[in-house]
Amino acid sequence: MAFIQWRRFNFFNKQPAFVNGSVPGRTWNTIKENNFLCSTCGRGFLLFGDSQGYIHFVNNSFQVISSFRAFEIVVTHLFQLKQHHMLAGVGVDEEGINPVIRVWNLDKRDKLGNPFCCRVQPTIPASNVPTEVTVFAVHENLSLMAVGFTQGSIVVYKGDIAKDRLTNKTIHLTTDVVEPITGLSFYSIGKTPYLFASTERCVMSFNLQDKVAKKNVLDNRGCPLHCSMMSNAELDNQFVITATDAVYLYLPDSRGPCFVFEGEKVLARWYNGYLILVYKDRSKGSVPSTSTMRMPDKNMVTIYDMKQKLIAYSSPLPGVQEVLYEWGSVFVLTADNNLICLQEIDIHQKLEMLFKKNLYSLAVNLAKSQDLGKEGLIDIFKQYGDHLYSKGDYDTAIIQYIKTIGHLEPSYIIRKFLDAQRIHNLTTYLEALHGRGLANEDHTTLLLNCFTKLKDVKNLNKFIMTPHTELHFDVETAIRVCRQAGYYEHALQLAEKHSKHKWYLKIQLEDAREYSKALSYIRKLPFTEAENTIKQYGKVLVHNVPREATQLLKTLCTDYQPTEESNVGGSSTRLKSTAKSNGEEFIHIFVNSPNMLVEFLEHLIKVEGKASATVCNTLLEIYLHKMNQTDSMKEKASLEEKTLKLLEDMSSKKYETDQALVLCQMLNFKRGILYLYEAAGLYQQILRYHMDHETYGLVVETCRRHGDKDKTLWQHALTYFAQQRDVDCKQYITQVLTHIDKHDLLPPLLVIQLLSRNPSATLAVVKDYILRRIRQETEEINKYEQSIAGYREETEKMKTNIHELKTSATIFQETKCSLCNHDLELPTVHFLCQHSYHQHCFESYAENEDECPVCTGHNRKIMENLREQEQALASSLDLQRQFASQLKTSRDGFSVIADYFSKGVFNKLTLLSDMEKSPGNSRVPSGGASLIDPSLQKELLMMQQANMT
Amino acid sequence: MSYAYLFKYIIIGDTGVGKSCLLLQFTDKRFQPVHDLTIGVEFGARMITIDGKQIKLQIWDTAGQESFRSITRSYYRGAAGALLVYDITRRDTFNHLTTWLEDARQHSSSNMVIMLIGNKSDLEARREVKKEEGEAFAREHGLIFMETSAKTAANVEDAFIDTAKEIYEKIQEGVFDINNEANGIKIGPQHSPSSSGGSGGRPRPQADGGGCC
Repeated sequence: MAFIQWRRFNFFNKQPAFVNGSVPGRTWNTIKENNFLCSTCGRGFLLFGDSQGYIHFVNNSFQVISSFRAFEIVVTHLFQLKQHHMLAGVGVDEEGINPVIRVWNLDKRDKLGNPFCCRVQPTIPASNVPTEVTVFAVHENLSLMAVGFTQGSIVVYKGDIAKDRLTNKTIHLTTDVVEPITGLSFYSIGKTPYLFASTERCVMSFNLQDKVAKKNVLDNRGCPLHCSMMSNAELDNQFVITATDAVYLYLPDSRGPCFVFEGEKVLARWYNGYLILVYKDRSKGSVPSTSTMRMPDKNMVTIYDMKQKLIAYSSPLPGVQEVLYEWGSVFVLTADNNLICLQEIDIHQKLEMLFKKNLYSLAVNLAKSQDLGKEGLIDIFKQYGDHLYSKGDYDTAIIQYIKTIGHLEPSYIIRKFLDAQRIHNLTTYLEALHGRGLANEDHTTLLLNCFTKLKDVKNLNKFIMTPHTELHFDVETAIRVCRQAGYYEHALQLAEKHSKHKWYLKIQLEDAREYSKALSYIRKLPFTEAENTIKQYGKVLVHNVPREATQLLKTLCTDYQPTEESNVGGSSTRLKSTAKSNGEEFIHIFVNSPNMLVEFLEHLIKVEGKASATVCNTLLEIYLHKMNQTDSMKEKASLEEKTLKLLEDMSSKKYETDQALVLCQMLNFKRGILYLYEAAGLYQQILRYHMDHETYGLVVETCRRHGDKDKTLWQHALTYFAQQRDVDCKQYITQVLTHIDKHDLLPPLLVIQLLSRNPSATLAVVKDYILRRIRQETEEINKYEQSIAGYREETEKMKTNIHELKTSATIFQETKCSLCNHDLELPTVHFLCQHSYHQHCFESYAENEDECPVCTGHNRKIMENLREQEQALASSLDLQRQFASQLKTSRDGFSVIADYFSKGVFNKLTLLSDMEKSPGNSRVPSGGASLIDPSLQKELLMMQQANMT
Repeated sequence: MSYAYLFKYIIIGDTGVGKSCLLLQFTDKRFQPVHDLTIGVEFGARMITIDGKQIKLQIWDTAGQESFRSITRSYYRGAAGALLVYDITRRDTFNHLTTWLEDARQHSSSNMVIMLIGNKSDLEARREVKKEEGEAFAREHGLIFMETSAKTAANVEDAFIDTAKEIYEKIQEGVFDINNEANGIKIGPQHSPSSSGGSGGRPRPQADGGGCC
């Protein structure tokens, strides 16, 4: 039956062990004629034992380094220890006696210069009959030797093999067989030594730990001589027998694997992972020779690489006697004593061979087992990949290419797989690249593009969801690619995971248009970021999800700081704290949604207490606009109410109302304007407003309301009415006049003058007034005349008095002292003022001798008044003169007036005596229009009016 | 490494059904797409834990080719468990199951736990044998059934471990004589009931010759 075999290669080159003629000394050729019975190798030499009892040492140049006589008659077995420079052999010294074991220490020399023989041990089987030794084994630990005999007995020598000692023990093992022992091998597991033994019919092991060795029969098939050995560590150091049907391996206590290498074997060796089997040439079907080593004719030599499971060499060779392994080569000793060298080719050649056969996976294994190194492996992977690629097996190719990651330039592979049909493979590669953290931005882009092209949402998900610590890629790139490809959801997930808020919102709003989601996302953000994003996207949000967005804005502007009170005046435009947004900055967001803006602003004002002017103004503006737009009266009314309330609020909080005013004016909100005027104290403006609108009743009403605050209102009203030529406004004029009259606001002359301009104002209108005025004036004149008469009288009296004092004697009739109020007694002092004093009283009180102490205070006051009056008169006259001259010369009369106004030219010159006498009559001047001189006043009034209009 | 029990398994089935790959996946956790044919018998081992006990699985992977049958058959003896594998993409491998089963029953202990495995479940597109068929076969012959993929490792672990559990249960029930190694079960060194002669560290080879040969 034809068994399937492993792959066959030619990893060994056959060459004759060529001996260079020029090599000095004895060469292989000189000992070639000997009859070699046994051989061994290791530690730099090939050793051969011949039928003359000699052992020859051959080096790698095939020089015979030395030969020495080891036994008297013949050397039958040799064993070179691998770890010690020791050699053990079995030979015959004398015919008819038991063979002898000799152990040589190769480091020492005896007297003849030969290796020092440190032990001689005769071999005596249990039967005690001289028997031929078939097999010989030495344990590498130098404490065990074993020989097997033809009749089935085994003897183990325990103890230091290099010394003859009494403690050394000889153990006879019971094999229960009477057939030649064909194989013996030692092996230790831990400290327990085992001995494997084989015959042609069975395999057994002995545990040599205890005094009585325990036998364990492992199998009831066996092998011929030279066909058993230990495998190396790669196959668990098992005992190997090569039966005809197969090669069987054994552990000390059980069977191991088996390999079916069919054929009758004559020799089996295990060197360095290679099992070398020498088959009997099947074609000739020759019978095995009974002689131990002579093999007839041709043999098939096959070298198995047991690890890679391949046949490394197989070739027929003439009559193989022995196979040795040294210096990395296999040496085959042929029947005619030729040495054939099978030299192993180097790894690169092997790989090349494998490449030629496209056996890349094998190449990889081989390279790994021979420690080719990373670069070498990468090269194999690449070649493998290339090969698969060229075969069109892209799936497998990419697996190989993936293995080159980190060494081979990714673009090499990427370029190969850019074809749309191979995008799957490309994806796999790129994923692996990312997995190794070696991907750059372009790779990420490419990978994501692949995912999106393939619509491989699952993998895309996986890729995106992998924790960043495991997978390194440029997040922004990934987001961008997903976005471009329309995988908004993924882009979003990515953005969210990596806190790329900007991206998240950009996508959510610009692409996905999931406004409420974006909004709820913003809500999750920390304050500043939320603020920034809302500033950026607020408009869109408000446009699309007005209610929610507004709600968010509201919270942004409030909830972050509950107690927000600033002492900043009308303008609170600055961002007051980090935790609270300035509402103003959001206003523009509502550009298209006034309703929401209203809501927002109302909220702002409500919660903030001190909303900024801009906020109020904006709100106001919207109110006004809405008011103008709406048709419903009800709505209008409610808006009006709201607006007014707002205005009230604003003015109560002392905002700058200028803008509000402008707004009201622009949008013609009457109540607002008036309210603002009133609030600002601009009564004149109110008046003017009414005048402009020709609401006469209101003009009067205004005057009445605010007249006490600004009396000029009346005057303006009068002037206004006076100018109303076409309208009959007598009624109002009368009212005004009544008021003016009552409060004596205008000199009658001016009133007349004003009214005279109005053609419609008939005398009837002013008759009452004039009459009253005249009467009043008359009364006044009378009063004054009376007082003038009084003064004259007084003066007259004083004059007579003075005269009297000057001319006639004065009689002092006082009886009492004006100071102490006691009766006067001489010496006394008399004054013309009719005060008399005791002299001592006068002296103690008087400040100077010339004045009456009682009158002094009064007199001095009068004197001072007089002086002051003179001075004031002088200076004021002076100023007025100056003013008059300047006014005449100056071009800009108004500035001169203003200038002098400040200097007090128009102040009423009040006489102190006057004030004392009639305080009720005196008027405190108010405004600029005081009474200096009617003509001047008139002029001023004109100028003011001209200025204002 | 010490273990409480050692169970011996064999993997049998037609050539190319993925026996070696199953083993490789179980022991090395890897998959080799190109696997050389097994010639002869190979084996692998792995420790598993069942019921808190360490159990060593010694698995014999046999060549599936008919020509190797005579050699591989000798390895059936002394196996406590067998994985009988067929390829779901090749009906003939399923058809041969009866032969394999007979062979296994004939050459092994009657208590041997046999698990039927439909391998290559990753190649659903090329499936020729329905899962139900596998189940039916298993039911009929008293086997445990599972579909696996050595490539994706699906169910591979379970296949081996479930078999071990079954064996372990049988031990607990006393079905197996654990002292007879012919059953494919060995007690670990520290659990050995008769630790005679102070041969610590490793189980002694049985000297009575009743072992596995």
